[in-house]
Amino acid sequence: MERIRRDFSTVTLVMIPVAIALNIAVGQLVVALKLPLYLDSIGTILVAVLAGPLAGLVTGVLANLIWTLTGLQPFAAAFAIVAGIIGLMAGLFAGWGWFRRVWLWLLGGVITGIVAALVSAPISAYLFGGVMGSGQDFLVAFFRATGASVIQATFGQGIVADPLDKLVSFLLVWLTLRALPSRFLQRFPRAENVAGRPE
Amino acid sequence: MIELDGVTFTYAGEATPALQQLDLRIGAGELWAVLGPTGAGKSTLCSLLAGFIPHFYRGSLRGKVRVAGIDVPGSSLGEMSEHVGSVFQNPFNQVTGARYTVREEIGFGLENLGVPRPAMLERIERSLALTGLSELAERSPYALSGGQQQRLAIASILALRPKLMILDEPTSQLDPAGTGQVFTLLRDLVSAGETTVVVAEQRLEWVARAADRCLVLQSGTKAAEGTPSDVLSSPEAEGWGLCQSRFSRAARAAVAQGVTPLGRQLPHTLDQAVEYFR
Amino acid sequence: MGLLLAVAFAVPWWACYLTLGLLVLPLAALGRLFGPLTRTLWKLVLPFAVPILLIQGFFWGEGEVLFTLGPLSFYRLGLIFAAASIGRIAMLGGCFLLLSMTTRIDMLMRALVERGLPNQALYLVVTTLQLVPRFEAQAHRIQDAQRARGLETEGSIARRARALVPLIGPLLLASLMDVEERALALEARGFSRRGPRTSLVTLRDTPLQRWLRLALWLLAATLILYRLVSWITR
Repeated sequence: MERIRRDFSTVTLVMIPVAIALNIAVGQLVVALKLPLYLDSIGTILVAVLAGPLAGLVTGVLANLIWTLTGLQPFAAAFAIVAGIIGLMAGLFAGWGWFRRVWLWLLGGVITGIVAALVSAPISAYLFGGVMGSGQDFLVAFFRATGASVIQATFGQGIVADPLDKLVSFLLVWLTLRALPSRFLQRFPRAENVAGRPE
Repeated sequence: MIELDGVTFTYAGEATPALQQLDLRIGAGELWAVLGPTGAGKSTLCSLLAGFIPHFYRGSLRGKVRVAGIDVPGSSLGEMSEHVGSVFQNPFNQVTGARYTVREEIGFGLENLGVPRPAMLERIERSLALTGLSELAERSPYALSGGQQQRLAIASILALRPKLMILDEPTSQLDPAGTGQVFTLLRDLVSAGETTVVVAEQRLEWVARAADRCLVLQSGTKAAEGTPSDVLSSPEAEGWGLCQSRFSRAARAAVAQGVTPLGRQLPHTLDQAVEYFR
Repeated sequence: MGLLLAVAFAVPWWACYLTLGLLVLPLAALGRLFGPLTRTLWKLVLPFAVPILLIQGFFWGEGEVLFTLGPLSFYRLGLIFAAASIGRIAMLGGCFLLLSMTTRIDMLMRALVERGLPNQALYLVVTTLQLVPRFEAQAHRIQDAQRARGLETEGSIARRARALVPLIGPLLLASLMDVEERALALEARGFSRRGPRTSLVTLRDTPLQRWLRLALWLLAATLILYRLVSWITR
């Protein structure tokens, strides 16, 4: 309980809106560069590393909910769980010390991407195909969903793109945080994820 | 108002102290300017006076720190915010973002402090009037210029009726007009007895105009203390890393060339320069 | 007015176009939002509607066939299913749009805080909403600045990917640096103070609104129960 309070310090609370805004801003830059990526979870991962898995979870969920509220993308809210899981996993991996070994960290990115794709598929299936009450078995609905996944890709989820996207996101966060001086990192609740335990 | 005795502070993870054996006495109702080059400890001192050291920044703190009658190390951020107000460099970062109008923005701190609603309304109006923001009360804080946003930050802090206001290079990101507005405001506030002000600054011209007393820091220790004229005219001024204003530079050159006699107070503001060269 | 409508709509009740036609659209017209709401809704639903219609229609695989197009058959059940899905999406979308277009988010949040939501939640939601457009603008500015410096925004994938780092790196770093000052500014306003808080704004809650909320709750509960019962007794 005490750890949760520490994780959600004022610094964290300030970081979350900034991170969410970053998600969207970076996502836009990527679209402008016409790269086959989304990078719309960079802020979430940043928060997860610096403030823990719970903070990452909150950031992801809130980011998607706000996205819906802005009216730009009303169905982002349905994928809030996915975004939350991304934050949660990034935070857990960081908490296990994976951030300090780059190959482990990148592996974590790939795993996160796979999980994200797996979780978002049934959500898309439900939205676009409807599993409940149709009398079809799950696999058929899944097929239909992946048939529709070409359309989904323009809205941010995809079976192949997700692991790559998360890999790159994790990498960018790694590069950025490593460039920060230790004294500055001390501001954040989970500085030890990046710098290791202080003496 | 402020009592520092033998204060030494080292940031966590650093070898050299940011402040060393600092003694300071500042009375209520004065406008003090803290001068010194980058790294001299100005920001550290500001953080200390506001209570951010030791409650936000970790490190080892020794010595006695009493501000507005409160023992700072034994207090908390919440308590300190009720008595000491802080204004920072970047106007944009001081807009909380949680409110949609200037009026509500000023009310943010009042709400946190649990001020009853009628008092809130009255204090907000007063803050708006004192900072000249009354016409902008219904605008979004993000639709203001840098100088206006900085005045908004000051207004928001003023509404909390702090006994002491600390400003850390508040005009460094403002244009000359904005800078003028801020300094004039600070001077008016102190002259009207609203609060005590400690401002860390590099704009010496304004310091000379507005400050009652100056404190010069060098590598975390007190290099000098006195009225603006004394401090800025001192021959050691350059050694302290204070950038010279064009007026005093011109005056020094004049003295060197024998145009004006030695021993007269060097000018640091336009008015003083006019007088000096008459 | 829309204080707790959000909660009511979060509960899934599978009425269809009826709700859209009888409730959402007239309310929109009342609020003089008919044009903007229908336009946005149309833009949102169309990209879903067309593919769903096509895919469900042509790949349903069983039941009555309505017509054939070369090797493909269009199924009636698929059409019905697509219609249902589109209806649900349109209704949800319409409700959300109505909500977001009529309520001031900070008033909604304040109402929730009054009912026990932690204060920090209000800060998070409203601040995010205000920061997002600023950051978008900044991203554009960085883009333009870098393009002016000749950074590649066209060309091979590798080149464009390399253009990514100098664009994103500074943005991330600057944002993190700002976090410190923003946190201190908040502390200076008593953000982490323990103790009672007051509110500048008073929210009016009329008896009419209370009755409406009660009615909505009952309606939603009834519909869910009805659906559950009919599902179980199938």
